[in-house]
Amino acid sequence: MADRHTDLIVASAPHVVAPADTARIMRDVVIALIPALAVSTYVFGARALLLTAVCAVFSVFFEWVTRKILKRSNTIGDWSAVVTGVILAFNLPVGIPLWMAVIGCFIAIVVVKQLFGGLGQNFANPAIVGRIALFIGFAGPMANWAITPRMSQAILSVAEQDAITGATPLAISAAGGTVPTNLEMFLGLINGSMGEISAAALLLGGIYLIVRKVISPAIPVAFLGTVAVLSLVFGLDPIFQLCAGGVMLGAIFMATDYVTSPITTPGRIIFGIGCGIFTMLIRVYASYPEGVSFAILLMNILTPHIDRLTRRKVFKPAEGGAK
Amino acid sequence: MSLSAVFYIVLSAIITNNYVLAKFLGICPFLGVSKKLDSAMGMSVAVIFVMVIATAVTWPIQTYLLDKHGMGYMQTIIFILVIAALVQMIEIFLKKYIPALHKSLGIYLPLITTNCAILGVCVLNIDNGYGFLQSMLNSFGSGVGFLLAMFLFAGVRSKIETNDYPEAFKGVASTLIAASITSLCFLGFSGMLENIFGM
Amino acid sequence: MKNNKLKILTNGIIRENPVLVLVLGTCPTLAISTQAINGLGMGISVLVVLTCSNIMISALKRIIPDTVRIPCYIVVIATFVTMVQLVLKAFVPALDKALGVYIPLIVVNCIILGRAEAFASKNSVVDSMLDGIGMGLGYMLTATVMACIRELLGNGTIFGKVITAGTITPFTIMIMAPGGFFVFGVLIAVVNKLTKGKVAEKCQNKCLGCPGAAFCSEVQKEGGEEA
Repeated sequence: MADRHTDLIVASAPHVVAPADTARIMRDVVIALIPALAVSTYVFGARALLLTAVCAVFSVFFEWVTRKILKRSNTIGDWSAVVTGVILAFNLPVGIPLWMAVIGCFIAIVVVKQLFGGLGQNFANPAIVGRIALFIGFAGPMANWAITPRMSQAILSVAEQDAITGATPLAISAAGGTVPTNLEMFLGLINGSMGEISAAALLLGGIYLIVRKVISPAIPVAFLGTVAVLSLVFGLDPIFQLCAGGVMLGAIFMATDYVTSPITTPGRIIFGIGCGIFTMLIRVYASYPEGVSFAILLMNILTPHIDRLTRRKVFKPAEGGAK
Repeated sequence: MSLSAVFYIVLSAIITNNYVLAKFLGICPFLGVSKKLDSAMGMSVAVIFVMVIATAVTWPIQTYLLDKHGMGYMQTIIFILVIAALVQMIEIFLKKYIPALHKSLGIYLPLITTNCAILGVCVLNIDNGYGFLQSMLNSFGSGVGFLLAMFLFAGVRSKIETNDYPEAFKGVASTLIAASITSLCFLGFSGMLENIFGM
Repeated sequence: MKNNKLKILTNGIIRENPVLVLVLGTCPTLAISTQAINGLGMGISVLVVLTCSNIMISALKRIIPDTVRIPCYIVVIATFVTMVQLVLKAFVPALDKALGVYIPLIVVNCIILGRAEAFASKNSVVDSMLDGIGMGLGYMLTATVMACIRELLGNGTIFGKVITAGTITPFTIMIMAPGGFFVFGVLIAVVNKLTKGKVAEKCQNKCLGCPGAAFCSEVQKEGGEEA
């Protein structure tokens, strides 16, 4: 959901959209992210707020500077950079050195978005690419998962004495250890990326966005449903898999980005299912414990094809005669 | 060779060792012919076709001719000549006997002689010490990996073609940045095949 | 006249830089530019092969029949590539190992075939040599600069010498595949900016020197007509 810019307009890029609509949608997204931020601040402390603020401020700053250098109209008023910044912050470990977070903002805003012409013209979700680039480029700092006394005993007990970081539930589960209870997982009394920990708070935000008609439920439902079904297929606990890692954050706030997800409902369902399949494949088989961001990026890349296929069905009679 | 070994070779050539996005072979057609999905697919099919046939010819030449007579150093010269001749022959053969296929693949064939992916796969099969069957599977997988990259990138290109790029990034520069982002997602699958097939 | 010779020599270094302006030889440049030493090694190899093949092809231009010229060029180029390969294997085995398959692949590097077709087959031996040296230097400089940037950002070193490693965590993605595409794209954009869009203009017929160019444009045209 990072960079939505159109208000339910069904058309292929580039779109022309009144900035006021984008700003309204983006503000709704920021509001929807607040419960998760509140839980994260409770669990991780004030550093969560600092990281969010730094990412939001630098995202807006990069947006402003790039537009200025390119001598283009100023777009920071549409709030999209704020949303990208906040979602990127949610995807980072809370203790990441701030300069690394700033590099993530640069990649998201400048490389992924503005170099491709700005809002609505990027083919990949900026926050996702920013996260993946940091995740691969700074593998060490991006895997330091801070622990605090407010977290589940299951997490604190596997960490060494006086350690400030520890394994995430997904890593504990992969190693065959005792994971936090499903209630702790759901509420978010766990470690992990800063904003992804509380499934409950993220769901609350998701419901708000659906009620406000900012996002359609197709992608989150298909995504989460596929993860649940595949968990059963692999013999894993579906509730745990849904609450662990970035699934909720990804399904509700990143996979639903208008610009980088399909236009039609059938297309969105395919997109969501694809995200779920690749997430679970990476979780179960690949060397990375978490695959949400890779799955969404891959589906972003497949989106033009999904659009082509789902649209062709609709318009087939019209162009069918030629070939 | 067990079935899982077969899948492992083919799939790792497609995904983890993707020719274009991980090994940087065949970049010219990847950038040049990926604008339209139809031509991207035509080019890819031609590449798979030639890769497999070229391997079927160059592997025995290396093993039974060059290595036997201690002329391994002639590899580069012999291989490129064989590939060039092979592509010519394939073209003539298709034109004469399977005109339909020639019509769809014909225009891509001349491009392929100087495509580094073809010579690359033939040399790498030898360098990696693959047997004949392994080489054939690896070539097929590499070709399919090329097709996958072309397919994904053709979609991306169709979406960003009409973008309003900054002046300096118009053309190849932005295409390369898009390729950079596309290649990112392939990294997520590292280790997956080893785990699935227990290698 | 002397000026003219100098122009041929410097042409390849900046104005018609084979990698950044003509966008040729992308595959090896992307693949080997993870370490400065590899970039330099590859650059020197290409420089040698390009200069030698340009001289040879120019000298033989009256003997080579027009209809089979491309296979003839390939044989000449492959011969020099094999020689370079053997020299590397004998004297710098570590570099040979690092460059691996990309050394034999110099044969199909379009810079070399492209210069043979576009320049050496039409010009005198001396001019062809200068062209080969100029273009080769252009390639070498680009590959080395790109490799330095990637090694510095991705590993904190240049030519193995510690620069920022230890003080600043290196951004390892820069020496991986996405970093290669990214740095290359940015370098082209920089050259594009400096030459005020000449690259974009050149890119219309970017395969200018490549023997596949005619087919390439044919394919693109055909694709266009179908749509």
